[in-house]
Order: sequence, then C-alpha cells, then structure tokens
Amino acid sequence: MKTTRWLAVLALVLGLVLAGCGDDEESGGGGEATSTPAADVEKFDAGTPLGDIQEKGEIAIGVKYDVPPFGFNNPSSGKVEGFDVDLGQAVADKLGVKPKFIEAISDNRIPFLEDGTADLILSTMTINEERVGQIEFSDPYYIAKGRILVKKDNSDITGVDTLGGKNVCTALGSTYEATLKKQAPDAKLKLVDSYSECLESLQNGSVDAISTDDVILTGMIIQDDSLHLVGDELTQEPYGAGIKKGNTELKEFVDGVFSEYKEDGRYGKTYEKWVGQYTDTEAEPPDISVDEAVELVKQNAG
Amino acid sequence: MPFAFVDTLTENFDEFLRGFGTTVELVVVSFVIAMGVGTLIAAFRVAPSPWLQRIGGLYVECFRNIPLLVLIFISYPGLRRAGIDISAFVAGVASLGLYTAAYVAEALRSGVFSVNKGQIEASLSLGFTYPQTMRRIILPQAFRTVISPLGSLIIAMIKNSAILGGSILALDDLLKTGRVVASRTFDVIPAFVWAAVGYLILTGLATVAIRMLESKYAVRR
Repeated sequence: MKTTRWLAVLALVLGLVLAGCGDDEESGGGGEATSTPAADVEKFDAGTPLGDIQEKGEIAIGVKYDVPPFGFNNPSSGKVEGFDVDLGQAVADKLGVKPKFIEAISDNRIPFLEDGTADLILSTMTINEERVGQIEFSDPYYIAKGRILVKKDNSDITGVDTLGGKNVCTALGSTYEATLKKQAPDAKLKLVDSYSECLESLQNGSVDAISTDDVILTGMIIQDDSLHLVGDELTQEPYGAGIKKGNTELKEFVDGVFSEYKEDGRYGKTYEKWVGQYTDTEAEPPDISVDEAVELVKQNAG
Repeated sequence: MPFAFVDTLTENFDEFLRGFGTTVELVVVSFVIAMGVGTLIAAFRVAPSPWLQRIGGLYVECFRNIPLLVLIFISYPGLRRAGIDISAFVAGVASLGLYTAAYVAEALRSGVFSVNKGQIEASLSLGFTYPQTMRRIILPQAFRTVISPLGSLIIAMIKNSAILGGSILALDDLLKTGRVVASRTFDVIPAFVWAAVGYLILTGLATVAIRMLESKYAVRR
C-alpha cells in the first residue's frame, strides 16, 4: 500500500521535473533555432571526428564554473552561463547536437582534451607558445586586457602612470605581479591569495586599485557598481578555444562557427550581455590568427 | 645544487632583509602588547574583586577562543568598514598582541597560584596592602615559575606572525617574501628554506634570552 502511494508521488514529481526540463529545452533550443535552422545542419560522415560527435548527439565542452561573466554557475538558474557558454552553445547548434558543459579548471583542461573527457575547451584560455605545442587552438575569440579597477569617486588614478605611491592589489604569483613592477615601479603592491581579498580591500579602502584581466574585473563591477575601469590596457591576453592536438577538422569547424558568430551580429549581442553593459565598451571581435596571438602574448613579457 | 641555494639568497638579499625587518617589527610590537595587556589581565584574574575577575575571564575566553585569522578579519576589513581608518600594521600587531595576551594572562595566573596562599595572608597581616603584596612578594616568585611557559608562548607568537603576511593584511613579512621570491624565480624550495632560516634566527635568539632569564632567576636547589 505504502509503496504504491510513494510510487505515485514519485511518478508525479518526476513527471513535473521532466515537463519542466522539456519546457526549458523548447524555449532555449527554440530561441536558437531561429538563428540556425535545422536545415542548416551539415551531416558529417561516421568515423570522422565531427561525425562521431553527431553520432553521440552531444559535444562535451569544458568551461570555467567560477569566472563570471565568462563561465559561472548561476545560483538562481542552477546552470552554467556566460560568454564562453554562449559560444559553446553556438558550436553545438551548428553541429545539431546538445552541448554538455563540464567544469574545466586551469590545471585539468589540457588533460581533458588529451583523454577525451572534453571535445572542446572554452575556459578563458590564453593562447601562448607552450600551449600551442600541446593542443590545437581556434582563432582568438576574445582579447582580454590587463586593466585597472578603482572606485568611481577616485579621480587620482587615471591609468598605469598614475599608480606611483598608491596601494595596488593583485594576486600573488599572477603575471600582473611582474607586469606592475615593470609598468608602475613606484606603486605599492599588495599581494594576496585571491581576487576576492583584493575586492574586499578596495571596498574597505585599504587599497586604491586592483589590476588584473578585465574579465575578472568585470565580474567585480557586476558585484559592485561603484567601481569602474580606468586607463589603457597594460597587457593583452587573446583567448582561444582548445581542441585535441591533430583534430584539425574540429578546429576548422569551430573557426567557421566563430567567424560567422562575429559577422552576423551575435557576437556583439553576447558581448553586450556579459561585458559591455557593465564596462560601457563596444565589442571588438578579434581578427587575428593563432600565430599573431602568440606574438601578442610575447610582447606582454617583453 | 648548494650554490643555487646560496644564489637564491644573495640575488634577493635586500628583499629578504626587508621581510626579516618587517617580521622583527611585528614580533617586537606584538610582544610589548602581549606582555602589557597579559599582565594587566592576569592581575584582574587574581584580583580580590569578583567583577575584575569576570572581566579578566571574559577577555581570556574571547581572545583565546577566536582563531587568529578571524581576529585579523574583524580588526582590519571589519573595523575599516565601520569607518575606522586602521592601518594593516596596527591591525596586525593588535590582533597578534591581544591574542597572545590571553595566553600570557593564563600563564601568569597559574604562576601566581603556584605561590602558597599562606604568603599572601602573612604579607597582609604584616601590614602590606594588596598591591604591595602582589608587587613585592607574589609576582617576583610567580615570574620565576612562568619564564619557561612564557618562552614557549613567545616562540609560538614569532611563528604566528607569519599568518599576518599571508592574510588579507598583505604585509610583506618574511614568509611573504619567501612566497614572492618563489613565485618569481620558481626556486620554491630555496626560497622557503631561507625564510625558515630567518624564523630560526628569531626563535633562536628568543630561546637564548629565555635561558639567560631562567639562569638569572634560578633558585639554587
């Protein structure tokens, strides 16, 4: 008796949950379908990398779960969202498969490609010389810039040349430690373990500025709109999608999706949604090759 | 390999020296606070007034039972958000000093209790006031028994000072210098070994000072 009643309740709950999921897919998938109708989907031969993904019906995409606004777990929707996630969705749509987003942290993303856990990595990964030897990169889809974040009511700091004598926070061991020592040698560096400590220090006034990627700084502005970015960029970090070494078929496919994405206006919309509205900047889709990206990163160190 | 070890020190010597200096400053100021406040609280704890005893007890329970890192968060971001313009150094030495003071107070109290109660009664009946009894009769004897536990506390305090640099205070102390050098040069082990040598110099000096005090106040048995 009891068991059957439980089963009935369970069935009811499951039904509701499944109905809820179904609605989600319809609304999410439906919205995308207008931009990429099903007729557009090219069928690839079985046995080729792209054909295998279509066979499986899903593409495993490694994204960051803790880097708003590029890849982060939204507590209100319970889903991973962000700029990288939107790009991954575009690739999956073009292939006519479902995206399966998995968490890829900096340490495990390249191994994930090598062992096949992920087909594609979209996790704020800078294209540099060492990595180019290990994996294939798509053409750069975003160029993150080293910037300076200050309180809006601070008019003393207008750029890197006005940091002299000021307390500037960045993460211990990050590339910005060296960058700041070179570009602002008179700044008083406050090195902490995490960027959340930098944000707290800026808010309580114990530091005057934070310097790191604009991606991380934009995440801070989303938290606290009394902060803004100032000055020119200190460095440039071109991001590329990572693909297993030798899988040029997928690399070329992703390049095609990205260039279409940049040209048909979706890039601008996505940029505005995740970055532009917080930083008052226009989308600048990068138009450089992987080799040029590597050169750009070399200049940062130079 | 041994030469690479020495290079890490010589090439970053100014940085290590500055870090060592910061740690010395932190330790000396915290020590003064810990001894001053600790003695005062110990006096409260053994005072004849129950209210003073309660205040002393409350202090000890608060500062001994809150982790040092939490004290740092209260005293620096907390007070700054409350509108008090406290500096990282002041917040650091206040946290470490007041934290250690609770332990110093307990050590001193146990020293006072180690002196036979009969001595207080004898002293009072001879016409000494209570403060005089404490200062002239009890505390000199109590001090002798607590030199050794106080020494342990001071050594623990020197090591606890490393928490200040690693915290949100972002003070450039000795351990922090080791971490900065390690992250820049990737000579991780030499960088931390030299930081350890710096701490050993400080704890070694403290040990020698304690030994000297012990032999000076020792009772020939």
